[in-house]
Amino acid sequence: MRLAGAELLDSREILPGQWLQKYRAPSLVAGARAGQFVHVRTGDYSGLVLRRPFSFNTIDPVAGTLTIHFRTIGRGTEWFTRLRPGDRVDMLGPLGRPFEVDPRSQHVLLVAGGLGIAGVRALADEAIRDGRQVTLLFGGAGARDVYPSSLLPDELEYVVATDDGSVGHHGFVTDLLPEYEAWADQAFACGPLPMLRALASLASTRRRRLGVANLGRKRGGGRPIPAGSAQARRKAFLQVSMEQNMGCAVGACLGCVVMATSGTPQRVCREGPVFASDELNWENGW
Amino acid sequence: VKAKRRVVTSGARTASKRRPTVRRIKPAIRPLVRRAEAASPSADSRNGGPNADAPAHTAATEEAPGAAVDLSVDLGRGLRLENPILVASGTFGYGIEYGDVVEVQRLGAICCKGTTLRPRIGNPTPRVTESPGGMLNSIGLQNPGVDAVIEKYAGTWSGWRVPVIVNVAGESIADYTEVARRLDGVPGVAGIELNISCPNVGAGGIQFAIDREAAGAVTAAVRRVTELPLLVKLSPNVADVRPIARSIADAGADALTAINTLSGIAVATGRSRPLLGNVYGGLSGPAIKPVALRVVYEVCQVVDIPVVAIGGVTELADVLDYLAVGAVAVQVGTAIFADPTLPVRLVDELAAECRGRGLARYDALIGTALPKRASQPSSKGVEYRP
Repeated sequence: MRLAGAELLDSREILPGQWLQKYRAPSLVAGARAGQFVHVRTGDYSGLVLRRPFSFNTIDPVAGTLTIHFRTIGRGTEWFTRLRPGDRVDMLGPLGRPFEVDPRSQHVLLVAGGLGIAGVRALADEAIRDGRQVTLLFGGAGARDVYPSSLLPDELEYVVATDDGSVGHHGFVTDLLPEYEAWADQAFACGPLPMLRALASLASTRRRRLGVANLGRKRGGGRPIPAGSAQARRKAFLQVSMEQNMGCAVGACLGCVVMATSGTPQRVCREGPVFASDELNWENGW
Repeated sequence: VKAKRRVVTSGARTASKRRPTVRRIKPAIRPLVRRAEAASPSADSRNGGPNADAPAHTAATEEAPGAAVDLSVDLGRGLRLENPILVASGTFGYGIEYGDVVEVQRLGAICCKGTTLRPRIGNPTPRVTESPGGMLNSIGLQNPGVDAVIEKYAGTWSGWRVPVIVNVAGESIADYTEVARRLDGVPGVAGIELNISCPNVGAGGIQFAIDREAAGAVTAAVRRVTELPLLVKLSPNVADVRPIARSIADAGADALTAINTLSGIAVATGRSRPLLGNVYGGLSGPAIKPVALRVVYEVCQVVDIPVVAIGGVTELADVLDYLAVGAVAVQVGTAIFADPTLPVRLVDELAAECRGRGLARYDALIGTALPKRASQPSSKGVEYRP
């Protein structure tokens, strides 16, 4: 975790109301991994007292740059759209825990709902770099919300579902999952809570339905894997990136919690934002 | 143990102007090395004459720009802070969360996350939301319970130079006293800050902080079971804060903290329900600074124990404002979220300010805006006066 100034290099509206911004911040990018995020201070100090969290959308450690992808939903995000190349913002990061891909996973399934693409986009690069096959299932409200394929790597299989049927499958992105869940060794998702909940429910019954062996240690026994550890996530079929209103983003304020099956609230900023789906309480969670 | 009362000068209770106690802990100028030499008899005899000038010479050089300004402050019962910039409870976790980003040891003190007797999972989410110039939070005192806090963090704290004040909350007087008893004597725990803005479950769920009797009772009860320095955090959600402050001071608190958050709500998008999972949240940030200033101003006129101000501190000017209305120290809260290094920077800026004004200590800045005679409380009308 470092606090650094980041220089805006490029800012464009890739979809109506959705922006992609590229910043140079070598010290933050070094060591950053897919699933982690940055907490960015707005310049309007008097009115906006909180930083804004953004997932690393893409990470380029060589150039020392990162991109963030966001929708304008309020004064804070609108402030960011008014920035011009050369402007500097104050970033805190990298924060949170990353996605963990099992080294044996060859087929990686990414599921994104709307702006959730920002949460899993970096993992596509990471997995392709590591020689895995990646399929991205994307769900949006309509054609105007579909993430442009030109911004995705060529190696990736891109499948789209829209609620109004204007592009791709007519229906929810979760409808597409049964076609891919047997193919996938691991799945990684980010998006609205109902989508994640549906995926988690599918994932929890996957082994029984498909008769798929769980990826894990070959020999049973040994020390149990501690809940919340990188190892526990690596072992899980489905990892989800959670979203929650955030205050400090370092684990101090306890504002951004989600309920775990253990009954202890987990901080999205610290124990998350990536969780193994079976670690979260999807029924009575908050 | 009967609470030790601070010596009150004659008529102080009714006196109009009251400067909170800032004890001189250390001499403003500390020519430590010279003193040590002077203490040795041989050096003393050898340098009889010149030795007398030596400290003066040191003093002269230390007055120069870059000299160390004494920012230390005593909050009572030996709770001595190196500087008057604290971090507020709930905004700095247990002091470890910000890692290397913040020079923790340079803070005046850390008020840790509110701690209760038993673990609490806190309120449903959303728990935080931004509002113009501030934020609402309703964390619901999520914490692992006092025993776990001691086990997990006290060891770390005991190795720190910065004092850690444990913020304590409870649902009954017995809760508060039990937590205080368990914290008493634990190495690494420098003091207790009572969050009394909690419902008194046994007494109809009315907050301790809005009831003069209950606030005094809980303070006195905790005072009886611990020798730790005791701060009590005032709530602004009352008609007149002065009798409550007086009652707490009389019950043996060593210092007051003012203020806790203001009660508020936000509405969710769609407008079908309130936004926060708990409906009500506490407003903090620059938006509440005028309220906090008013409370500190009122309280400093009626109590003679130190007052630590909190509410919307985002820059040095805010610190100076609070000092001017009688606070001896300030806590930085919400602003840490946007600017984690702010508290440490404020320490440097306050020292620079003193140096710029030619002050060796900062206490000349305290109470400069307090009235000569006790002013009307805000409860007697703010805009309209008969």
